[in-house]
Amino acid sequence: MSLKVTALVEKARGGNRVSFQELVNIFQEDIYRLAYYRTFSQMDAEDLTQDVFEQAYRKMDSLNDSQRFRAWLYTIAVNRCNDFLRKRKYLALLQIRSAQEQDDVPRDPDTNNNSDDRIDKKRFWKQVKAVLYKLSVMEREVFTLRFMDHRNISEIAAILDKNESTIKTHLYRALNKMREHSDFFEEYRESIS
Amino acid sequence: MKENNHNHLPEGQILRAVIDEQDLSGKEQQHLRECSACKRKVARIKDGLQAFGKKAGQAVPPLVRPVRLPSEKPARISHNAGWLPFFGAAATAGLLVFFYFMSMEAMPPSGLIPMQSQENLLEDESLMRQISEMVENPLSEEIYEISGENGVDFDEDFLQFVVPEIQDDFQSEIFIQGGIKRC
Repeated sequence: MSLKVTALVEKARGGNRVSFQELVNIFQEDIYRLAYYRTFSQMDAEDLTQDVFEQAYRKMDSLNDSQRFRAWLYTIAVNRCNDFLRKRKYLALLQIRSAQEQDDVPRDPDTNNNSDDRIDKKRFWKQVKAVLYKLSVMEREVFTLRFMDHRNISEIAAILDKNESTIKTHLYRALNKMREHSDFFEEYRESIS
Repeated sequence: MKENNHNHLPEGQILRAVIDEQDLSGKEQQHLRECSACKRKVARIKDGLQAFGKKAGQAVPPLVRPVRLPSEKPARISHNAGWLPFFGAAATAGLLVFFYFMSMEAMPPSGLIPMQSQENLLEDESLMRQISEMVENPLSEEIYEISGENGVDFDEDFLQFVVPEIQDDFQSEIFIQGGIKRC
């Protein structure tokens, strides 16, 4: 973690609100994306991002090592998302919230104007879901953190409070299951490179 | 291992190399360095996953509602452990009240005198006096006069007359002896 972030964390731990706001500015996009990858809903991801930073702000005193701020923040975010998904599952079971509601339409006006882009994104997320839901909860979590949230093995181990070899095992199983979807990854490799 | 030999890394080891090349054995690592086919396989998968991650990042709708911090940092009281000081204070107050009433109960009656009315006190005193008198003199004065317990000593002669001793009673002795004879 950069020295700037560490310094901000130190100040925020001392109760400096401005420093914490700067930390929010640095990390809010990452946490929002993390939440979106798990909920596939813009509104829910935004709510969760707000919750995560509020919780972090309240519990700043409990952070012992400033160097571990990012892992700590990600841990809060992953736990909050898991709580949310569990709750959503129960609500879906009780038919209080339908499965269709989970995939809300993006509220960004630019995105809405470009219908091709919107369809492309919709198709992409449909494929992502199809691939991810073939994995176990832990495999999905590890895969998402590694290849979508771009965290390295040691960071993932710290976030999920597991040892590195456990993370690698889950990652290996996830990739092994995804071999049958290799075309899907090839497609995006070619479309981007 | 040479590039043209057929002992390429198996698929599983290629995936391990994607995750962390250091997890391969020394031989496998050496093969990976020298074999362009295996190297290409690993790179292809890595690139595919990286491209996928990049595409995912681009496909996320933008954050429209940025995070707003709460106006004030909430006091510890709103935390899960915030109820502890309150519970402690309530428990202490409860204990104080409990011990206060316990000590009131254990206090001697004299301690309660101010709480009693003067009238009740006088009544109690009068009753206690009557009880003491009755213990000392259980009989009323009239009965006491005729009871024979008024301190008048019995006359020994009178008693001897009323209840004579058997050995000194001559007539009785004859009577007994006669009775025996008669039997």
